[in-house]
Amino acid sequence: MFESWHLLAEGLVAASQPSVLIAIMIGAVIGLFIGALPGLGPTAGVAILLPVAVSFDGTAAIAALGAVYYGAQYGGAVTAILLGIPGDASATMTVIDGHKLARNGKAGAALGLSIAASFIGGLIGLILLTAFATTIAQAAIAFGPIEMTALMIFSLSLVSVLGGKDLNKAMMSLFVGLFIGTIGLDPMVGLPRFDFGEVRLFDGIEFSIIAVGLFGLAEMYATPPSIGKPEENNRFCFRELLPDIRGTLRCWRELGSGSLIGFFIGILPGAGATAATMIAYAFAKRTSKHPERFGNGAMEGVAAPEAANNSAAYGNMIPMFALGIPGSGTTAVLMGGLLMIGLQPGPMLFQTQSAFVWTIFGSFYIGNLALVAITIVLTPVLATCAFVRPSYLFPAVIAIIAFGIFGINNSMFEVVLVIGFGILGYLMMKLDYPPVPLVLGMILGPILERGIRRTLVASDGDMSVFFKSPIALVILLITVVLLVAPWIFQKSQPKPEATIEPDATKVH
Amino acid sequence: MDTYEAHQGMKRRTLLGCGAAFVAAQSLTLTSARANAYPSETINYIVAFGVGGGSDIVARTMAKVINEKNLIPVKMLVENRPGGSGAVGYSYISSRKGNPYYLGGVGVSFFTTPLLGKMPLSYKDFTPLAAIARSPYILAVLADSEIKTIDDIKTAKGLTIGSAGAVSDPALLSHLLNKQLGASIKVVPYDGEGEVMAAVLGKHLTLLFGNPNEILEQVNAGKMRALAVTSAERMASLPDVPSFKELGHDIVHTQLRGIIMPKDVPADAVAYWEGVMKTVSDSPEWRSQYVDRFNEIPLFLNSKEFGEEIVATSQRYETLMRELGLIK
Repeated sequence: MFESWHLLAEGLVAASQPSVLIAIMIGAVIGLFIGALPGLGPTAGVAILLPVAVSFDGTAAIAALGAVYYGAQYGGAVTAILLGIPGDASATMTVIDGHKLARNGKAGAALGLSIAASFIGGLIGLILLTAFATTIAQAAIAFGPIEMTALMIFSLSLVSVLGGKDLNKAMMSLFVGLFIGTIGLDPMVGLPRFDFGEVRLFDGIEFSIIAVGLFGLAEMYATPPSIGKPEENNRFCFRELLPDIRGTLRCWRELGSGSLIGFFIGILPGAGATAATMIAYAFAKRTSKHPERFGNGAMEGVAAPEAANNSAAYGNMIPMFALGIPGSGTTAVLMGGLLMIGLQPGPMLFQTQSAFVWTIFGSFYIGNLALVAITIVLTPVLATCAFVRPSYLFPAVIAIIAFGIFGINNSMFEVVLVIGFGILGYLMMKLDYPPVPLVLGMILGPILERGIRRTLVASDGDMSVFFKSPIALVILLITVVLLVAPWIFQKSQPKPEATIEPDATKVH
Repeated sequence: MDTYEAHQGMKRRTLLGCGAAFVAAQSLTLTSARANAYPSETINYIVAFGVGGGSDIVARTMAKVINEKNLIPVKMLVENRPGGSGAVGYSYISSRKGNPYYLGGVGVSFFTTPLLGKMPLSYKDFTPLAAIARSPYILAVLADSEIKTIDDIKTAKGLTIGSAGAVSDPALLSHLLNKQLGASIKVVPYDGEGEVMAAVLGKHLTLLFGNPNEILEQVNAGKMRALAVTSAERMASLPDVPSFKELGHDIVHTQLRGIIMPKDVPADAVAYWEGVMKTVSDSPEWRSQYVDRFNEIPLFLNSKEFGEEIVATSQRYETLMRELGLIK
């Protein structure tokens, strides 16, 4: 461990040379904008920069690509908070409370908190990455299909608190999400499912398309045309543009839990940062003394997912650096970058390319600090968005959405899809169906399906294997306890208000 | 790696032509008479998958070598058109019928997506140009596994193997193993080769068929043991590991790194690219930047030989997919 810090110190020095610093700054700024742009996320950002970056010197190239990745985590929150549109997939949960805060005239506070959460989440993720990269990688691969199944069952039980007040509607919404998650080539058999003969649905529907349509477009559709000027409570006030330090400090618990959850979910191959933010948000709400504040502009509701997605970004890199396994789309592209500059990620990388690895880790620390500086300076400027009239703002935003969604795969088909999901979101809003269970179903459903089916293929249909894995067994027991405990608690001491789930999921 | 791109659940997103221009310096000695000769326009290398994957690395390395050595008098642009398990990119190329300025690479999906019947094309809609490298698969287990030789596979029970997607080379090879050895290996589809490797290292799977590049890294680190290779001969980088063929099993299957053009391109364009590819394949640059770096087997196949291999490979996939019940 001490050796790690010594190596890191050397890495920090190496990462401070001008060429690497410039690469970090370029990467961070590009990442910030890609993240803020609805539709395009870190995977697209890294892919866009990759062909250019590999022509730099190797270390600078990877430092820049890494900076795009974590820079996007900062950027995604900006759009989520100010416009109510997830800038990237992992900012979806930030929309719920973040945009509410902005509408209540606390745009600056929400942005400041998201920066702080991003920084703290990133820092905790980085420290864990620095100290335990190789050890943790070994623990992460203990999660196979059986353990993933148990973890997804646990996650779905946690997120049941996010359903809103009408359980039936929440379940309907969840099942629509699960259905959307099955569109595309069957992961086990390879046959197309629900593709309606459309080859462009083979790879399924990109999550950003659904998130942007359901949250962003739906809300713009629902804004009455008569609203030509900002809401009354959005009177321009310079103080509202500034971060709220005391409010941020009060969220220490959510910042901590979000960072840890994000990191550990992030390491698991195939789970992803978006799932991490959902679990972190649900956990924060479940353990909160005031769960009713979640969904109505709770600072904690911004802190947990923002800490989680930044932390997850570093967790995600661990299997790549330590084992040569890309755990997500973004790290798969990043790994392509390592291969292109002539490095082989894998168990030998730490030994054979020690100086390179530690310089890259050093660049992550520098990049994180740089992003805090950049975003804090930008906050007051960006926050003024909240005071722009919708009649000016929305056309520009819709154009940006169309551009961002088109940019994912250069496909007009996906632009049409996002409009369709906007209409679905509008109808759900009007009929009072919460959109959050839908996105949960879409993210968690496919992971659950793969876990169950992979397990059963390997075990020849024997269900008992789910209870033979100690890790799975513990997770399933915790799930049962969490589900049953409130029910028993309720029976013994009736307390009606505790049973009413607050309306957590209405985004506006 | 190609299977990874084809079947992974997480889509790779890319921007069109994002700065991929490898600007080949125009030859100053170009005479006006030669300006009309082929090629006189930019060559578009269409990658049917995302940036950073196996097909993309082949394309970009090839373009880089061609550019550095000034092998063609025009620019070669690498453009990614991912989607539909390769259907988007391959349809794009084939729609440029007779146009010798569009070319693409061949991956597993080049065969499997048309066979699934969801792309109104097949290998017959393309002109094979040449192949310049071959990537075998290595059957490997964890270093502490009880399985020491291929014979142990016959008797062992409960063996599992990973595959990136339902139809992939590892799935095909496992199927052949079961048939030829009478083994009972179960194929568990994952979303990508990285996930498969993670599952093997985490002991959720017992066997793995992988690219030399992935496996050698783990073998050198002492984490895995290679059992046999699917090339006809042993690999130079693994001299102690036998091939299936020398063990008496009729399992020879490798992935070819080759390029294709749309149907009906002029014969002189085919001859032109055979020449360029021969030079690339013989060049020390290609050797060091691709073949040696990724531990592949160098070779050169001309248009005719490559075309024959394409037909044979497509038939192999067709048989597998019929047996798996994916096509009727």
